[in-house]
Amino acid sequence: MRALGDMSDRAGPSRHVPRVLFYVRLVAAQLEMSTLTALQYRLGFWTEGLLGLLWSVLGIAPLFVAVDHLGAVEGWGRWDLVVLTGCFTMLSGLFTALLQPALRESMTHILKGTLDYVLLRPADGLLLCLTCAFRPWHLVEVLGGAALVIAGLSLGAVPVTATGVLAGLVTGAAGLIALYAFGVLVLCASFRALQLQSLTHVMEALMDFGRWPAQVFPPLLRALFTFVIPLLVMTSYPAEALLGRLSWGTVGQLVAVSATLLTLARWTWLRAIRGYTSASS
Amino acid sequence: MSAPMVRVEGLRKRFSVPRREAGLRAALRALVRREFRVVEAVQGLEFSLAPGERVGFLGPNGAGKTTTLKMLAGLIVPSAGRVEVAGFTPSDRRPEFLRRVSLVMGQKRQLSWDLPAIDNFEFNRVVYEIEPAQYRRRLDELTALLDVGEVMRRPVRQLSLGERMKCELVAALLHGPQVLFLDEPTIGLDVSMQLGIREFIRRYNAEHGATVILTSHYMEDVAALCPRILVIDEGRLRFDGSIEALRRQIRPLRRVSVRAATLPAEPAALGRVVLCEGSRLVLDVEPERVPAVVQALVALPEAQDLAVHDAPLEEVMRALFGREEEAAEVG
Repeated sequence: MRALGDMSDRAGPSRHVPRVLFYVRLVAAQLEMSTLTALQYRLGFWTEGLLGLLWSVLGIAPLFVAVDHLGAVEGWGRWDLVVLTGCFTMLSGLFTALLQPALRESMTHILKGTLDYVLLRPADGLLLCLTCAFRPWHLVEVLGGAALVIAGLSLGAVPVTATGVLAGLVTGAAGLIALYAFGVLVLCASFRALQLQSLTHVMEALMDFGRWPAQVFPPLLRALFTFVIPLLVMTSYPAEALLGRLSWGTVGQLVAVSATLLTLARWTWLRAIRGYTSASS
Repeated sequence: MSAPMVRVEGLRKRFSVPRREAGLRAALRALVRREFRVVEAVQGLEFSLAPGERVGFLGPNGAGKTTTLKMLAGLIVPSAGRVEVAGFTPSDRRPEFLRRVSLVMGQKRQLSWDLPAIDNFEFNRVVYEIEPAQYRRRLDELTALLDVGEVMRRPVRQLSLGERMKCELVAALLHGPQVLFLDEPTIGLDVSMQLGIREFIRRYNAEHGATVILTSHYMEDVAALCPRILVIDEGRLRFDGSIEALRRQIRPLRRVSVRAATLPAEPAALGRVVLCEGSRLVLDVEPERVPAVVQALVALPEAQDLAVHDAPLEEVMRALFGREEEAAEVG
C-alpha cells in the first residue's frame, strides 16, 4: 500500500490573493459546476435550451404585437413602455437564470440537511447559497431584455444621456440588490418552515407587477412596492432613470432602500444560521 | 504536553421540538395550536482530545452523539458550555477553522449527483484555495490509496455506495484537515469495503496525525479504529476510556468455549454457563480463574476448538444500557 505522504501543508489563502478575487473565483467555480451539470445530459441541455428560448420569446412577443397600439400610460409613451418591458425582462431573466434555481437548491439543502456541507466550506455561506445553482439558457431572456431597452431608447423621442445611463445602471444595481435581499428573506423563512420552494413561484408572480410604471399604482401600493416588496425599484425606476426622468435624490433614496433591505437580509441570515439545527442523519 | 485539539466544557444543547398525538384531528389541531417539547439532547459534556487521537462516540440512537459531533464541527450552536477545536470556537465558523476540519456523513453526500467526482474535487480546490501542484499531489495520493482513479471520472449517480463513500473521503481530505469528523462512514457498505475504509482511516491518522472522531453503527469499526471511546447516553458522558477498560468495568468475565466428546457433569462449577448443548460448552469465567478452567477443559476427552476471548462489544453495550432484548446500537 502506498504511503499517504506529507499532507501537513494545509490549504489556505494565498498571501497574494485578495479576498475579492477569491470570491470572484468561487462564484465562477459555482457557476461552472451548474453549467457542467446542465451539459452533463445532452438531451436535457437542448430541451432546456429550447424551452428557455420559447419562454423568452413568449414573454416578449405580445409586445411586438401590441407596440403599434400602445398609447401613453400615465405619461409613458410607446417606446418608454418598451424600455420598461426591457428592464422587466432583464430582471425576470436574471431571476429565472440565477436567483430562483439557487433559492430552490438551497431550500432543498435545508430540507435534506445537506446545507451542512455548504456551511462547512471556508467561505461566506450566504454567497455559496445564492450562487449554488444556475440555469444558463435563461440568460437569453436577459439578452432579449437588453435588446428591448436599447431598441426603446433608440427609437424613442427622449435623447439618451450619459448621466441617464449612469443613473439607470445605479438604479438597476440597486434593484438587483433589492431582488436578492428579498430572496434571502424568503430563504431564511425556509429555515423555520420547510418545503417553501413554492414561495419562489409566488416571488415570480409578484414580479409581474414590475411590468407596469410606478405611476399606475395608487400611492399606498406604490409605497408597498417601493419599500416593502421593492418591485418598482427593480424595474420601473431603472427605466425612468434611463429615460432621464429620475432625480439623483430619488436615485439616492432607492439605493438607501436597497442597502437597508440588504442589511436586513444579512442580519436575518446570520440569525437563521445560528438557529440552524441541521436535519438528523 | 501539547495543548488538546478538542476541549469541551459543560456542553449543552437544547432543542424545542413540535409534538402531537396521532390522527387527523390532532394534526388539524396542531395547525392552530402547536405544542412543543424541550429536548435536552446534550447535557453537560466534558472531555478533551489530544492531537492525533482516534476516538469513537458510542451510545444508543438519540443519545446525542451526532449533535455533539455537529457542535464540534460548528454546524450547531451550543445552548451552553464551551467548545474549542484546534484553538477555535467552532460556532464562529471562521474560515481558518473550517480549513482545519472535515466532516464525512455516511447518510448525506457533498458530491454533486450528476457530475463525475473529479469535477467536485476541482471545485473543492477553489473553495479551499489549494495550490494546483499541491492539489495534484494530494489527489494522486488519495486516489491511489483508495483506488478510485477511474471511478472518479464517472458521474456520482452511477457509483456504488462504496465507491461513492471513497470519493466522499477524497473530497473531505483534499485540504488536509487536522480534525476529521466521521459520522457513520461505513453505513450500508459490505464487509470488504468496511475493512478498506477502516484501513484507510487508520493510515490517514497515522501518517497525517489528524485527530479522528468517529460514530458508527458497526461496533467493529469502533473496536478496530478507536483506542479510546466516549459512551454517551441521554446527552451525558457515561464512560471515557479504552474498550478494554469498558469491558473490564461492565463485563469483566472472559468467555471460554470448547468442544468435547464428553462435557463436565457440573459445568457451573467452572464458571457461568452461557451454553451447554451437545458437544459444545461456553462459559463466562473470572479472569483469574481462566488458567485453571482452560486446564480442566483441555483435559476433557477429544477436546478441540478451545478459545478464550473477551465479551463481544455488542454485549458490553447491551449490559451498559441495560437492554437485554435488543443489541445496543451505536452511531
